[in-house]
Amino acid sequence: MIYILEDLINGILVGSIYGLTALGLTIIFGVLKVINFAHGSLLMVGMYVAYWAVTLSGFHPYLTLILVVPVMYLFGYYLQDIVIKPIFKAEREVREPITVIIVTTGVWYILDNLTLLVFGPQYRSIQDNPLRGKMLEIGGMLVSVPKLWGFFAAIITAASVYWFLQKTRTGRAIRATSLDRDAASLMGIKQYKVYNIAFGIGTATAGIAGVTLVPFYNVFPTVGVLFDIKGFIIVVLGGLGSIGGAILGGIIIGVIESVGPQFMTATWTEAIVYGLFLLVLFVKPSGLFGVKYEW
Amino acid sequence: MTRQKFQLSSLVLVGIITFGLPLVLRSPTYLHILILLYLYAYLTTSWNLVGGFAGVLPLGHAAFVGIGAYTSTILYLQYGVSPWIGMIVGGVLAAVAGIIIGLPTFKMRGAYFALATIAFGEGIRVMVENIDYLGPFNLNGPRGLQIPPLNVGLANLMFTNKEPYYYIILIMLVAVLALTYSISRSKLGYYLNAGGEEPEAAMSLGVNVARCKLIAMAMSSFLTALAGAFYAQLTLFIHPKSVISLDLSFEIAFIALIGGRGSIAGPILGALLLRPVSDFSRIYFGATLPGLHLIIFGTVLILVMIFQPRGLQEPLTRVYHRMLDRLIPEPDGKE
Repeated sequence: MIYILEDLINGILVGSIYGLTALGLTIIFGVLKVINFAHGSLLMVGMYVAYWAVTLSGFHPYLTLILVVPVMYLFGYYLQDIVIKPIFKAEREVREPITVIIVTTGVWYILDNLTLLVFGPQYRSIQDNPLRGKMLEIGGMLVSVPKLWGFFAAIITAASVYWFLQKTRTGRAIRATSLDRDAASLMGIKQYKVYNIAFGIGTATAGIAGVTLVPFYNVFPTVGVLFDIKGFIIVVLGGLGSIGGAILGGIIIGVIESVGPQFMTATWTEAIVYGLFLLVLFVKPSGLFGVKYEW
Repeated sequence: MTRQKFQLSSLVLVGIITFGLPLVLRSPTYLHILILLYLYAYLTTSWNLVGGFAGVLPLGHAAFVGIGAYTSTILYLQYGVSPWIGMIVGGVLAAVAGIIIGLPTFKMRGAYFALATIAFGEGIRVMVENIDYLGPFNLNGPRGLQIPPLNVGLANLMFTNKEPYYYIILIMLVAVLALTYSISRSKLGYYLNAGGEEPEAAMSLGVNVARCKLIAMAMSSFLTALAGAFYAQLTLFIHPKSVISLDLSFEIAFIALIGGRGSIAGPILGALLLRPVSDFSRIYFGATLPGLHLIIFGTVLILVMIFQPRGLQEPLTRVYHRMLDRLIPEPDGKE
């Protein structure tokens, strides 16, 4: 019983980090109505930035957030501004810009393989970091310290993004654009600027997720793919566009993956996750916590 | 010379060149590259029936390749059934799978459909990787299946040299091209097109869009599975990562999108342009610059989407027609 409880806690911690990796996906979808296939690659870039920042400076991993967040924000901002915006302008009339999905796939392939070209295929992990392999014992259960940090990072990030969207002027502009971009434009909101900002925020959260992963996860060029597919599943499960849904969807996946192996071969849990995903898509495409979208 | 005669004779010329090529080109390496080129053109043309004509973005077609490859291989290895029959059985199974996955997903809008097909493809791969025995059938999990090259011959679709493979895939490609051409001129083709462009308008005119898409999906998955069986016989070794990989699903879609989805020439053009890039960069830069061809793919994909969203076939067709006008002016100005 204690094992299952331990797995449950571990699953919630890992799941919240999954949720954090998927947060940007849901933010970008909520505003641009586009699934960003390059999201895993953005996460990978974030991990590399964090990895090098920690390795070169020797700081505590979470201190590198000061660098990672602005770098990733600008990266996302200009990626959307230079690469994706032209497509939006060309396909203004189209309701679901499939072409944008395709372009983000192109970005994914370029980023992953450029990283492979520059840094090589080897797995890297931070050598001397204060969080590495640390465990906390609570009532006979072992809890990983870096994952606990990740859990808090996920909650804080999700809460602050939510607060930003609800309370600030820019946040209101983003929400207005996400509800009705034409009406928002008529109110004087610069639609493409809002897209850039939303993409920047989404990329910055991917950077934060990268920082939380680096203390206990290897960094390699295709690391994003693992989180990419998982991210799609999480955001659909939680409801595309819903911030709380992303975290809760992540926790559901995390718990399945960590409690599941008590009852079956570990690799089967992956099949269960895909099955659950297809089930949600068929039965309730708006997700477990999402609002019904008409787009 | 009239325009029709010119087009017919150039078609005959292309036919002579493609069918005569193995007589001149003796290198098995180059023949293999050509076989893969035709195979990808074939796969992409099959994909195009759904991804192009029906106007959705399926990203899980590797699952059908896998179903075809595994069905024919298992039937051959365990029951001695000729891969030709296994091919058809695999095709039928894939068509059934296509209908099952299409029934709920075609109601979804673009992005959801793409995600559902990805999950379907990845789900099939994970299942195959985890199952050693599916009832009486030995899938052999992640280790894959190997076909011992013993009973070589046409009956077993197994040859020691590359030429027969070359001709078989070429004939398959010509057949699938003819099929797509006739579909694009049929009522089904027009319905699909209408349903892809403006589903509401098509439905209001009484077109059963969902049913047309299902038919297209069934045909597409059937044809894709045939290529899977061919691939298994070509390499004589299949494993989940090779025939059911996400990369394969994406590459098929990429070729179609760059060449021009929804057109007949698009997939051929895409394969002609991209396959050599991928093969030769792997041969020459595989060790020093890994992943170079994928960077090129990604860049070309983005550029094409920005500047020619309908694919490269559009500007090339325009150039071709202008050239035709220059060479053989129509006397009375008709098309």
